Amino acid sequence: MPKYFLKGCDYPNMATKKTLPPVLEILRDNIVEHGNPLALKSKELSSWAKGLDLPEKGQILYYTGGEYQLLPYIDSLVKTLTYVDPASNIFSWLMEARKIVNKTGINAEKIYASILAKDKERYFSINYQAATILQKLGYDLCYDGKNELYSGALLYELGFWKELKEYAGKVAKSIEKTEAKTIVCLSPHAAEMFKIIYPKLVDFPKVEVKTFIEMVWEKRDLLPQINYNQPVVIHDSCRMARELGITQEIRDILTSVGVTYIEPIRNKEWTTCCGGPSKMLFPEISKIVAERRINELSDTGSKKALISCPYCLSALQSGIVKDNDFVLDDIVEFLYRGFKN
Amino acid sequence: MSDLNKELSEYTKNLNKASKDSNINRAITRAVKAYRDTVEDTMERHPHTPELAEEVRRIKEYSMENNQQLLEKAMQSIEKNKGKAFYAKDREEALRITNEIIGTGKTVVKGKSMLGEELQIRHGLEESGNEVWETDLGEFILQLKNDRPMHILSPAIHVPREQVAEIFTEFFKKEIPPDIAQEVAVVREFLREKYFTADVGISGANVVAADTGQIVIIENEGNVRLCTGAPPVHIVLVGIEKLVPSFLDSMKVAEVTWRYAQYASPSYVNIISGPSKTGDIEKVTTYGAHGPKEFYVIFVDNGRSEMLKDPTCRQALSCLRCGGCMYECPVFQVTAGHYGRTYLSGIGSVWTSFVDGGVEEAAPMLYTCLRCGRCVERCPMKIEVPTMVGELRNRLVSE
Ligand code: SF4
Repeated sequence: MPKYFLKGCDYPNMATKKTLPPVLEILRDNIVEHGNPLALKSKELSSWAKGLDLPEKGQILYYTGGEYQLLPYIDSLVKTLTYVDPASNIFSWLMEARKIVNKTGINAEKIYASILAKDKERYFSINYQAATILQKLGYDLCYDGKNELYSGALLYELGFWKELKEYAGKVAKSIEKTEAKTIVCLSPHAAEMFKIIYPKLVDFPKVEVKTFIEMVWEKRDLLPQINYNQPVVIHDSCRMARELGITQEIRDILTSVGVTYIEPIRNKEWTTCCGGPSKMLFPEISKIVAERRINELSDTGSKKALISCPYCLSALQSGIVKDNDFVLDDIVEFLYRGFKN
Repeated sequence: MSDLNKELSEYTKNLNKASKDSNINRAITRAVKAYRDTVEDTMERHPHTPELAEEVRRIKEYSMENNQQLLEKAMQSIEKNKGKAFYAKDREEALRITNEIIGTGKTVVKGKSMLGEELQIRHGLEESGNEVWETDLGEFILQLKNDRPMHILSPAIHVPREQVAEIFTEFFKKEIPPDIAQEVAVVREFLREKYFTADVGISGANVVAADTGQIVIIENEGNVRLCTGAPPVHIVLVGIEKLVPSFLDSMKVAEVTWRYAQYASPSYVNIISGPSKTGDIEKVTTYGAHGPKEFYVIFVDNGRSEMLKDPTCRQALSCLRCGGCMYECPVFQVTAGHYGRTYLSGIGSVWTSFVDGGVEEAAPMLYTCLRCGRCVERCPMKIEVPTMVGELRNRLVSE
C-alpha cells in the first residue's frame, strides 16, 4: 500500500443540508415586513430631516434608503458578536438573536441598544449635510420621510430575489407617489438597484436615477473652495466605480474645490473592496480586508481618505487600528465644510 | 444548534485561522505583487494579448454552442491518430476507465491537473493498489504534506521554503536545508528514477483541438514532458469544456492562458496527438519508439453538460484556469485556498455548484464572495462571477 495518499486531507467539511444561516432569514424578514434590514422605526430613520421641512412631493426625490442611518446599528451588532465570541461563531449567536426577536416581537432597537451616540449622530447627520449641499447648489428636493423604504439591496445580495420582486413593487409605488422625475441616491448601492436591478424586476417609474456625486458634479462650479492644504486620497467604492462607472467625477469635484488628491495603488475600476459585504457573515475576514485597504490608502502618505459609499465608510472605519491617526471623511462631510466656512 | 450551523461555523473558523496564518500571509502577499508586476510587464511586451483574449472569448462561446459535435470529432481524430478516446459521464466512470487501463500494482507518474483534483484520481488509483507520484513540485510537496492545493497554478503557495525543508528532510531521511535550489534538486533526482520506471503517465490538458485531436499542455517545470514521454502508457484526463474546433484555435487559447497566468511564454508547450511511432525500418509503422506505445484520452463530463444548459452559469465553462482572478480577490488574498474546496474563490464557488457537490456544498463559498467584481476586470474571458454568485444564492435560498 502506498504511503502517501489523500486520506485525512484537510478538505473543509461543508454544509450538506438546505438550511439557511438564521442571520439571512432575519434580514430578509425585516426588510419585507418592516421596510429595512434591522426593523428600525421609520420615524427614527427620518429624524435627521427635522428642521429642513422638505416636502413629500416634488421633481427631485432625495433618497437615503435609511442606509447611513442603519450602519451604526449594524456596527454595534457586529461588535457585540465578535465580543461575545472571538471565534466569531456568528451563526449560533444569531440563533440566540432570533430567539430574542421571536419572543419580544421584532424590536431591533432593544438588541442594538449599545450603539454609540456619537456614531449615530455622525451617520444620521451625513443625510442632513448631503441634502443641504444639494439645496445650496440650487436643487429643489423632496423627501418621503416616514414613507421612505429601504432599496432592498441586501435582498438582492443575499439571493432573496423572489421576495425582492414583491418588495420592489412596493418601493416602486412609493416612489411613484412622490411624482419625482429624478431620484438622487445617497448610496451607490441604492442607485445600482434602481438603475440596473429594478427595471429587470418590476415596472419601475420612468425616473432618472442619479447618485449624489453626479448631482454635485453637474454643478461643481458653484461649490465653495475648501481650505485643506494637504492632499487627500480617494477610495473608490466597488459599486460606484465598477457598476456605475463613476470615478472621474469625484476627481473633478475635488479639483473644483481646490483640493489636491493622490491615487492609491489600486483605484478606479481596479479599486479594492472595503470588506463591507462580508461584515454580517464573516466579520473577522471583513475587518482584515478593511485593514488591508486602509494600508493601501495610507501608504500614499495622505492622512485623509474620502469615501463615497455608506458601507465603505463604516467598513473601512473598522479597519483603522488604534493609534493610527489616519482619518476617513465621507465626501459629503468634506464638501459640507466648504459651506460652513 | 443544527449541524449545518456547526459546519458553517467550522468553515468560518478555518477562514479566520487562515487569515492569521503568517505563512499564508507572507506567501500570498509576495505572490500577488509578483503576479501584478509580471502581468503588467508581459502585457507591455505583448500588447496584442487583450485583443487575442477577445477572440478567444468568441472561440470559447462557439465551442460551447457546438460542444457535442466537437466531442465527436475530437474522439474520431484521436482514434485516427491511433489513440483511444473515451467519454466519462462522471467520476465513477472516469475512475473505472482509468483503472481498467492501469490495473493494479503499477507505478504512475502524474502531472498537475485540476480535473485530477476534482476526480481525486490519485486517491482512486492508490485505492486500487497503485503507487502514484505527483511530479509537479508544488503538488509533490502537498502529497508529502497530505494537504490540498491552495492555488490552481501554484498549489503549494502557502508553504514557505523552511517548511518545505522540514518536509523533505523527513521524507528523504537526510538533512535538506531551506535552500530552494537544493530543494528543487533533491526532487529532480528522486523523480527522475520514477519517470523511467513508471508504467503509466497521467496528465490533464489546457485545450484540445477537435479537428486534429491534438492535446495541448502548458508547463514550465518539464515534468509533463517526462510524464507524458517516458512511460509506455500516457493517459489524458480532460474536461469536455476544453474542446475547440481547430488547432489554430487551440494555440490562441493557449497563448491567452499562459499570458494571464503571468508568463510571457512558458518554458514548454506540449502538443500530443497520439502514441509515439517510427517508420524508420522498412517504412513499417511501429508504435512506442521512444515515447508511449499507448495513448488514451478520457473526456470527462461530471456536471459540465448541466452547466452548459444553464444560461447564467455556462460562461464559467470558458474559464482558462489562468488563476488571475484569485490574485485580485480580497478574500483569497487573506485566506488563500481556504476560501474553496477543490476549486477556489468566486469562480470556484460556481464550479463547485456544478461539478463538486452542488449548491448546498458550495453555500459557504457562495456567501464568502464579496461580489466586489474586481475578478471580472482581470479575467481574460470577462466571466461575470458576481452575477453567477447572485444567481446561485438565489437558487440556494429558493430551494
Ligand atoms: S475566471 Fe477568468 S481570471 Fe479566473 S481563472 Fe478563470 S479565466 Fe482566469
